[in-house]
Amino acid sequence: MASLGTADQVASSAAAATATGGRPRPEARKQLKGRGTNAWVAWAFLAPFALVFLVFLVAPLLYALYLSLYTKGLATGERFAGLDNYTRAFTDPSFLNGIWFVLRFTLVVIPVQMAVSLLAALVLDSLTSRFSRFSRLVIFVPYAIPAVIGALMWGFLYSPNFGPLQQIFGDSAPFLLADGGLFAGLTNVVTWQWAGYYMIIIYAALQGIDPAIYEAAKIDGATGLQVALRIKIPMVSSALVLILVFAVIGTLQFFTEPQVLRPISNGGITADITPNVYAFNLAFNYAQVNYASAIAFALGIVVFLGVYIFLFATRKRGGFLK
Amino acid sequence: MASLTGCGGGDDGGSGGNASGGSCSVPIVNPDATQVSVWGWYPNLQKVATNFNNTHDDVQVCLTNAGQGVDEYNKFQTAITAGSGAPDVIMLETDQVPGFALQGGLTDLSEYGASDVQGKFSEGAWKDVSSGDAVYGIPVDGGPMAMMYRTDIFEQYGLTVPTTWDEYRAQAEKLKAAGGPLMGDVPSNVPAPMVALMQQKGAVPWEYDAANPTDLKINLNDQNSKDVLDYWANMVKDGLAGKQDQFTTDYISGVVRGDYATYVSAAWAPGYLTGAGAGEGADAGKWAVAPLPQWDPANPVQVNWGGSVFSVTEQAQDKEAAAVVAKELYADDESLKDGWVNQIIFPLNTSVLTSDEFINNQSTFFNGQTANKDVYIPAADAYEGSTYSPFSNNFYAEFTKEITAMNNGEKTGSEAADSLQESMETYAEQQGFTLS
Amino acid sequence: MSVLSKPTAEAPARPAAPPPRRHDPRRQPRRWGSHLFLGFLVLYFILPLWFLVVASTKDAGGLFNGTGGALWFDQGFHFFENLSTLFTYNDGIYLKWLGNSLLYAFAAGIGATVLAVLAGYAFAKFDFPGRRLTFSLLLGAVMVPATALVIPTFVLLSRLELTNTAWAVILPSMLNPFGVYLMRVYAADGVPDELLDAARMDGAGEFRTFFSVALPLMRPAIVTVLLLSVVGTWNNYFLPLAVLSDSTKFPITVGLNLWQGLAGANNGGGTSLYALIIVGSLVSIIPLVIAFLGLQKYWQGGLAIGSLK
Repeated sequence: MASLGTADQVASSAAAATATGGRPRPEARKQLKGRGTNAWVAWAFLAPFALVFLVFLVAPLLYALYLSLYTKGLATGERFAGLDNYTRAFTDPSFLNGIWFVLRFTLVVIPVQMAVSLLAALVLDSLTSRFSRFSRLVIFVPYAIPAVIGALMWGFLYSPNFGPLQQIFGDSAPFLLADGGLFAGLTNVVTWQWAGYYMIIIYAALQGIDPAIYEAAKIDGATGLQVALRIKIPMVSSALVLILVFAVIGTLQFFTEPQVLRPISNGGITADITPNVYAFNLAFNYAQVNYASAIAFALGIVVFLGVYIFLFATRKRGGFLK
Repeated sequence: MASLTGCGGGDDGGSGGNASGGSCSVPIVNPDATQVSVWGWYPNLQKVATNFNNTHDDVQVCLTNAGQGVDEYNKFQTAITAGSGAPDVIMLETDQVPGFALQGGLTDLSEYGASDVQGKFSEGAWKDVSSGDAVYGIPVDGGPMAMMYRTDIFEQYGLTVPTTWDEYRAQAEKLKAAGGPLMGDVPSNVPAPMVALMQQKGAVPWEYDAANPTDLKINLNDQNSKDVLDYWANMVKDGLAGKQDQFTTDYISGVVRGDYATYVSAAWAPGYLTGAGAGEGADAGKWAVAPLPQWDPANPVQVNWGGSVFSVTEQAQDKEAAAVVAKELYADDESLKDGWVNQIIFPLNTSVLTSDEFINNQSTFFNGQTANKDVYIPAADAYEGSTYSPFSNNFYAEFTKEITAMNNGEKTGSEAADSLQESMETYAEQQGFTLS
Repeated sequence: MSVLSKPTAEAPARPAAPPPRRHDPRRQPRRWGSHLFLGFLVLYFILPLWFLVVASTKDAGGLFNGTGGALWFDQGFHFFENLSTLFTYNDGIYLKWLGNSLLYAFAAGIGATVLAVLAGYAFAKFDFPGRRLTFSLLLGAVMVPATALVIPTFVLLSRLELTNTAWAVILPSMLNPFGVYLMRVYAADGVPDELLDAARMDGAGEFRTFFSVALPLMRPAIVTVLLLSVVGTWNNYFLPLAVLSDSTKFPITVGLNLWQGLAGANNGGGTSLYALIIVGSLVSIIPLVIAFLGLQKYWQGGLAIGSLK
């Protein structure tokens, strides 16, 4: 998933979730310095970031948009194509199957990831032993390991010849990168990589809850489970929603892990398994930059719609994008 | 001769970077000479480039390792798209040449004295880098195919070395009946050897000439192709061959362990296996090599898998100088010898192929067998060359899908050939080719 | 789903005693169910690392056909041999990669943090025309897949003659929209307007107010954004892969993948690269793991503080 800074974006975004999580924050906006004469000061503060934003995001984006409106075959010259590339994308089985794959994958991996990280956070929040502090770090460590290296390691571990599965199951060991095992195999890698990070965010938000609330709940006779379900989870829900949004964006743009694991997958991972892998191969292997740009934008549209629908569905809890 | 110290060139670290480029990985001996930037990934290219620089006064090589194979091609592709960023000379695998040439990424070397060195290569090797009259690369090494086999397994199960594919199948059945390991392997991730095996039976999958770049003929589902694909699909279906991807740690460990009695591969395979730790442990001294089994022993056909060339890019600053590098880099005796001795590649330069030392070399990997003389040189000499796809990467990706389907029993070989033909025709038309 | 039922199982074990918050750990009863669950998680998350440690002591033969299996040691112990090959192979290019990674990660991390602090502060504390639009743009930008940007970015960098230089990695990596978002959220809350107004009353200029009043208050968020940005760049693979062509300029992620490619093809040149890839991966993750462990007080504080404050 890490690509052109996506990883750290997801990272800091999730951190932001924590910052907003826990308790409602005072409406600071109304007290802003509104003096028009001060606009230039604001822009002065904003300028360095704005410059980098314009040069390394807006400009390439516009250029990619421009590219996506042209077409060039290997045996033909470049010509203006209007929206042809987009109509082609939405009828291209490679693209549509890729979208279908990441949608299904999202439905599998995100609940697993969220379950693991939420449970781990709740358990860690309820413990203060030395072992729990140690566990917290161990669970978090994969976040500090590059996705490429993580995928390489799991690639070794998935080996049907010398991996641990072989030792357990012998020759009937499942191969987790092809056929029926692929979903499980990829879900595992992604969960391992990100669950600890999500766990830390949720954990931090949980730690921010005022203990007095628990005291009150206890007086009312609430059990630990009730406290978790009725108090803790609702109180960190905005952190959960933000994590979910970025997990959805990241999963729909799934790239690094399948790309790294593809050569050892016995054909299980194809060159068009996800739209992002497909776009990458179109641009870099098949010399189809124009169409690749269109695919990437088409994916962007799908991601935007997906996130919008998701936010709409959870609008009562979220609200962080207001 | 003094350049034997070439490998020490890197020891002086920073001082090697006296060139203006600053990122050359070999010392520039003559700072005043024209510098030609070269991308390549063979580890011994450092020595090779040092040899070149020590023996050339007016041209110097600035070598960069831009990544192995596909990583390098991706960068080159980006550079072609962007219109800048390509090196002057680039190492490419032979099957990548037509695709980059078609995009206008490569210079036709026939205008820069390619014919000077044509005599150093067999006709087949030269055909691989040519398209009509145009020449888009100078060959470095090749991959004449042969059948490597495990002598221990052959002895244990009383197998005879097959000379035809029918015999190969018969031995495989014998092996299976005796409870032995698999005879071979059908990897989905590297379709190139399958293309070669189809060609061996007479298939001509691609007909294409750079002089008429929009005309293309695709024959991936003729009877020969179907026969070969059916043959291997049945080998897998009947449990005689595996379906493990190759160039993976799993394949290597399987090879070392003796999971496969044969490895149908190319002349560079011993180098690949040695580098991956094979031929040293449990399987040391147990390998031998025999000529590729044939369909018609009366009319044997030899084929090639892999190999690489040096091409001059269209973005090259000084094409004359770049052509000199393409022609003379990896062409001196010392570099060539280092190539086959240490890098374990199979050079295509006839100065090596005809040298006694190379001919009579007793391969350690093959337990002292004179593999070059017995197998690889005759195979290389008899190879007639082929035409690669102008869009190899897409072709291979689709072929990978078809082999996967074959291996999973979802399609027969013939069905796979038909759907491959169909998807390639669709793709070619989409790309603006006229199919004939 | 058995995982899901876990807390239910341990819930009865949670007594009616006061929730054991931070104040008094000694009063906490042992919670075997919870600890068992944690133990299971620890095993799972540590498994690949354990594999890496074990595998780094093997040579290629031991790696693929060792006697102890993937998760235990082989007869031969080749750790130091692997380590010395790692640092000397190809003129010690591995150390160069490590150094490059450090340079890129810290330069980009610091740059991203500076930009994010300034911009976040502006969004939080000033009302200016276009503020909302700019901020929405910033958030919307994340939804565009990076693959769309790579080729245009490459074209742009090559126009600026920056491809194949450290800048080609560092400059684009300084773009961290969510660092800005985090700083904005944090500054809005953590830097009281009253303090700023008081400073302004005292005649301090806007920039002085920022440096002397706002900046110190934002420190916890700054550390967090810095760490996250450093990790983001350190772990990045796609961008350096695309914009760097010279292997001596690669960061560690791209470098190790280069070896993986060489090892997979026929091109190890007699050296088995698999053992190097394993030991190289192990060495490469040590700096960040140490950084996280050593600085955990700061980043955990930074993550939590937004809600604790």
